[in-house]
Order: sequence, then C-alpha cells, then structure tokens
Amino acid sequence: MADVAAAPGHAEAVSTKVDVPLDLIKLSLDERILVKMRGDRELRGRLHAYDQHLNMILSDVEETVTTVEIDEETFEEMVKVQLSYTHKLFLTI
Amino acid sequence: MLFYSFFKTLVDKEVVVELKNDLCITGTLHSVDQFLNIKLLDISVAEPEKYPHMVSVKTCFIRGSVVRYVRLNPAFVDTELLQDASRREANNIKGAA
Amino acid sequence: MPHQYFPGSASLLEELDKKLMVVLRDGRKLIGFLRSFDQFANLVLQDTIERIYVGDAYGDIPRGIFLIRGENVVLLGEIDLQKDAQTTLRQLPVEEILVLQREEQERIEAQQKIQYKVMLDRGLQPVTDALYEDTYS
Repeated sequence: MADVAAAPGHAEAVSTKVDVPLDLIKLSLDERILVKMRGDRELRGRLHAYDQHLNMILSDVEETVTTVEIDEETFEEMVKVQLSYTHKLFLTI
Repeated sequence: MLFYSFFKTLVDKEVVVELKNDLCITGTLHSVDQFLNIKLLDISVAEPEKYPHMVSVKTCFIRGSVVRYVRLNPAFVDTELLQDASRREANNIKGAA
Repeated sequence: MPHQYFPGSASLLEELDKKLMVVLRDGRKLIGFLRSFDQFANLVLQDTIERIYVGDAYGDIPRGIFLIRGENVVLLGEIDLQKDAQTTLRQLPVEEILVLQREEQERIEAQQKIQYKVMLDRGLQPVTDALYEDTYS
C-alpha cells in the first residue's frame, strides 16, 4: 500500500524508509558496521559506500579471520584468530 | 557505476589487491573497467616464495570477480562524497526498477 | 575484435599478441600468445604451454590453442623478460614435475581433509572453492 505516497519535492522526508532490503544499509552509511563474510571472516569498520552488489568501502577496518591449523606432526589443533587492521578498504562480494 | 567512477579517480595511485585465493598484489592502478577488472603496473606480491609464477610478472590484469579486497590509501578517498553518491545511486536504482 | 576502447579502461588491447601468463581458477598456469579477447575476458591463447610449479622447480607441457571461458580467469600477467632472466627456478622434465606435483597434491589433500573435519566440528565453514563463487559480472 502506498501509505506514504511521496509528494513530489519531499524525497528527503521518505529517505529513511526501508522499502527494499538494501535501504537498511543506506541507513548505516557513516556508521560502524559488522560485515560477516564467507570463510569465517568478519570486518568491523565505518561504511562509506555500497552498491547493489554489496561492494563496499569501509574505513578503520578490523578484519578477523578464524581458521584452524593442524600441526603436521602432532596433529594438534590450533584455532587461529588473525586480526588485521586497515585504514581504508574497498571490498567486493 | 559508483565504484567504477570511484576507481577511475584512483588511477596512477598505489593499491593493494587481495584476491579470493589470498594472493596479495601491490601495484600502481593503471586502469579499471565497468566489471571492476583491474590493471596494475609494476607489481609486487606478498609471500613471493608461495607464488613462483608471479615473480617474472610486472604488469597484470585481474578479473574483477576474483577480488576480495582493494586496500586504499585514505588520503585519496573523500568519504563525504562517497556517502552522498551511495544514497543517490540507491535512489536511482529504485527509481529505475 | 573489440571495437570500443576507452583510454583508462582495463582493456586487454595492449596485451594482444604478447606472451602472457594466465592463472585459472583451478590454479593452473598457462603461458601463450594472446590472440583474441572480449568483454568477458574470454581469451584465445596460441602456442600455449601449461607450466607446473612445485617448490623451486617447474615443468612445461605443450598444450597448443586454447579458448578460455572468461569466468575461469583469475589474472593475466605480462612476462617481464628482465625479471624472468633473474629467476632461480630450475626446469625439470615433464615426467619428473608430474611426480612432484602429485606428491605435493596428496600431501595438501591429506592435510586439508583433517582441517576441514576439525573446522566443521567447531562450527566453522571451510572454504573449499574460494574462487568458485557466483558473482555478478
């Protein structure tokens, strides 16, 4: 239902409405967000740009990669959490 | 188109491209196209001993679909401009749909 | 042949007829002369060899002409002759490099099998096909 039939010239007033899923991301622009990626990767950073493919530009990014390494001789399992820090990052999904 | 335009502003700047197979390539951005394919000049590779096939490569074309990250120098990024462009692009796409 | 070329766009036009090293998604490396391409990075390579690397050794298998579907391409590298001359890699006959390659693959596969099992047990999602994602383009 067109409950808020955007009156011409009032585009600003409806810009916080979420009517497609990606509008939720629009509301997160200039906020710190958490991005969960394939392969147990997580990024925390400030969102500056995104597009319909979920390409993004983040700044002050903390990347966490969780992997398990197995010692070749002892077969000991080590959970390795790598944390890296990048000032500005463009990423593709 | 947002990211294509954005990358065009980074031509001649140094970037680090990390691929989905973990290969990290540093080089000067020579060009980019609408698929975000990237051409880098004067490249160097992190952990070259793991990637012997890359040591004699100086210039390369990377398919956009295999890129995980591009690490950027923050000095070349105008975040205000990007945020406005993202909002505009989101609205345009909705308008077109 | 591509007829549109914008300066500054990532065109392969400058690479035409050059000797290039192409990395495929399955990790194979092909070296040949680029004779044709299109906007999807579909490629035609002529006089191609497949080069197999194991440690500091490599071996070449003559393969001939390839039409490569673009989605399988990771990157194309232009071989720099100066850099190439400085290489310390040693060439082995095909039969020897194939043996080394199989040994290495078996070692890696055994290691990965254990690792995937442990990761799944811990609720982690091992990526078995990092380059085989469905992407736009």
